[in-house]
Amino acid sequence: MLQNMWSVFIEKKDLFLGLLLEHLEISLLAIFIAILFGGIVGIIISEFQKSAKPTLGIINFLYTIPSISMLGFLIPFSGIGNATAVIALTVYALLPMVRSTHTGMTNIDPVILEAAKGMGSTRTQILFKVKMPLAMPVILSGVRNMVTMTIALAGVASFIGAGGLGVAIYRGITTNNAAMTMAGSLLIAILALLMDLILGFIEKRMKKHSVKAKKANRIMSITALLLCLAMIGGSMLPSSKQDTIQIATKPMTEQYVLGEMLDILIEQDTDLSVNLTQGIGGGTSNIQPAMESGEFDIYPEYTGTGWNMVLKKEGLYTEDLFDTLQSEYRNSYDMEWIGMYGFNNTYGLAVRREIAEKYDIHTYSDLKNISKQLIFGAEYDFFEREDGYDALCKTYGLEFEKTMDMDIGLKYQAIDQGKIDVMTIFTTDGQLSVSDVTTLEDDKGFYPSYLCGNVIRSEVLDKHPELKDIFNKLTGIISDDDMARMNYAVETEGKEPREAARAFLENAGLLK
Amino acid sequence: MKKAIEFKNIKKAYGNKVVIDGLSLSVDKGEFVTIIGSSGCGKTTALKMVNGLIEPTEGDILVDGENIRNKNLTVLRRNIGYAIQGSVLFPHMTVEQNVSYVPNLLNKKDKAKTKSAVSKWLKIVGLDEEMKERYPSELSGGQQQRVGIARALAASPDILLMDEPFGAVDEITRGQLQVELKQIHQKTGITILFVTHDIGEALKLGTKVLVMDKGVIQQFAEPKELLSKPATDFVKQLVERERRTCHLPDDRLNDCEYSGASCAAIKE
Ligand SMILES: Nc1ncnc2c1ncn2[C@@H]1O[C@H](COP(=O)(O)OP(=O)(O)OP(=O)(O)O)[C@@H](O)[C@H]1O
Ligand SMILES: [Mg+2]
Repeated sequence: MLQNMWSVFIEKKDLFLGLLLEHLEISLLAIFIAILFGGIVGIIISEFQKSAKPTLGIINFLYTIPSISMLGFLIPFSGIGNATAVIALTVYALLPMVRSTHTGMTNIDPVILEAAKGMGSTRTQILFKVKMPLAMPVILSGVRNMVTMTIALAGVASFIGAGGLGVAIYRGITTNNAAMTMAGSLLIAILALLMDLILGFIEKRMKKHSVKAKKANRIMSITALLLCLAMIGGSMLPSSKQDTIQIATKPMTEQYVLGEMLDILIEQDTDLSVNLTQGIGGGTSNIQPAMESGEFDIYPEYTGTGWNMVLKKEGLYTEDLFDTLQSEYRNSYDMEWIGMYGFNNTYGLAVRREIAEKYDIHTYSDLKNISKQLIFGAEYDFFEREDGYDALCKTYGLEFEKTMDMDIGLKYQAIDQGKIDVMTIFTTDGQLSVSDVTTLEDDKGFYPSYLCGNVIRSEVLDKHPELKDIFNKLTGIISDDDMARMNYAVETEGKEPREAARAFLENAGLLK
Repeated sequence: MKKAIEFKNIKKAYGNKVVIDGLSLSVDKGEFVTIIGSSGCGKTTALKMVNGLIEPTEGDILVDGENIRNKNLTVLRRNIGYAIQGSVLFPHMTVEQNVSYVPNLLNKKDKAKTKSAVSKWLKIVGLDEEMKERYPSELSGGQQQRVGIARALAASPDILLMDEPFGAVDEITRGQLQVELKQIHQKTGITILFVTHDIGEALKLGTKVLVMDKGVIQQFAEPKELLSKPATDFVKQLVERERRTCHLPDDRLNDCEYSGASCAAIKE
């Protein structure tokens, strides 16, 4: 495992370095804002004690909001990406900052304050000359905690499409690449430790009293400040937004691959550049609003999902509803469906090939007569869902000998070993391409259709008609099997999504 | 004679507990008033009323003939040196920064002047130049007290409040400091209120001595009068031993009624 991780790390050191820098930028920006703003609030509430209780109450409350809901809550206001991440991180960093400042400022020996007052200091002079320097050690230890926490928490930010090392973790999780997840987590831990060490060093330096040490401190702190400013400044430089197509994908292996395909083809065939934001947490529910606000231009979507989640239609989606889907997207959102890849990522049933051949089974209905002899396996929730096991059995008149619930990862093993005979699948499961199973036809249309295509903002398509050629090239070129094979290449063989995408395009003769 | 400080019918109570009651007192300009009394009788309280750190429950305080209620307390305090009981230095500042604290509040610009003033005052209170860079935690209790005194004097105030400033220094240093303080007083004509627990010190330094007990004045008079005509039993008890100690030059020791083996001559 460790070796694995190391090789992943070496192989993709550019990626990791980029993510590391981005992680640092996001966290440092949040940390700076929190220090500044939290420090000021902390000082104000310790100067005006009456405001302390309500303020700390509010901040305490914010702190108890789980990070995921905080991010979700912020998306409608600040969209997807780094801005939201920085805001959320800042909110979390505020509490420790305000609290430690307040504690530091209010726990100063009152005798010292009286001395300062008795000598004729104004309130401001007491604040700056006495209170703040004396509170500094407490504030600094609060900052130290806050910094470690923020760096760790920034890992969650990739959930909403922000950059940073969380991207590695999240990608590792969605594409079944444990080494990647570990490498990302380890880097975050190292980064947090490193920052803690640096701050520890600063704390120690600040305790040094000699004049020489003070001078050195001043030089060091100015250098550090300049470095940080340069870094944040660099990250804020507007990356020329013009003529850049913003593509988003959902956190699923096949979407990572599709995203890469679009990226490769658009950059190859047009003068446009692409900014690809992979694996946005929450999928459609977070990407759709960002499409509406114009943050993203294109994302791969499934027809059934668009029907139910975006248009919020009740009932089963079938492909004869596509025209309605298309026109409602145009009318309600000024977006359209384009470049239908050809594969359908829906639920399905698979039978061990040996059984399929023996009993000549091709459709769900074919199962009816022999279901009494077969063992059915599915994830636990399939037996609970309304459109799950019971509905399926009722529709097709099935009655299995036995059912087993098992984890999604174990199903394929179980069917190979003959522990189960029939199981639920997704039609593009990577494992499907190497398992000895036959996928059956849903002849009564029990499951909705989830054909994969792209949703694009009409405005973008009008402005860049050259994109149409690309979507034409992509139309109908990927079968369920193709997609399953690419998923397998990424999830099991450890290929990069981009490699898999490139290999497929190469094969299809689309690369120049 | 102009009045530097006047207490007019001062009463101070914390809740129901009356700490000072009916205190009326006026201190002439250039007077060196030593204040003595049992612990907890309200000496520190009286002192802090002069620079407005404590507000009297009743009555008025006049400084230079002006009621301090109508004065800008910050400006007032900058002209009143304050050597706090237990010294209380700023722990995050060096000796030099501590001593230059008030001069810096007054004039930030003139660094050279402040620097030389700091050196001068440190020398007067008997601290080495090399101590300047030290922090309070690196000083002995007595050294800290001397820094506190230097700090109180550094801005050359018109009035000096000193709350047991020599409590933590040894007998010999204390003697030296007493001489220095007396000289400063004579040279500058500064008005001093000086709290002490040592009746000898009170009699020796004060041009007037204020004896307090339970928040009430027992006697306010010149040292001589205190010794010869103690106003109350409390004062009598207090000066009893001092009356038998003769502060006379060596050649006139024999004039003293109580001289001889029991007479400890303190040089002035
Ligand atoms: N904030 C306060 N609340 C209540 N009582 C107080 C407060 N400050 C002082 N006192 C009381 O007022 C009285 C006078 O206190 P003060 O400090 O003036 O005494 P002192 O004469 O300076 O004593 P010492 O010689 O021990 O320094 C004491 O009994 C003290 O307990
Ligand atoms: Mg006292």
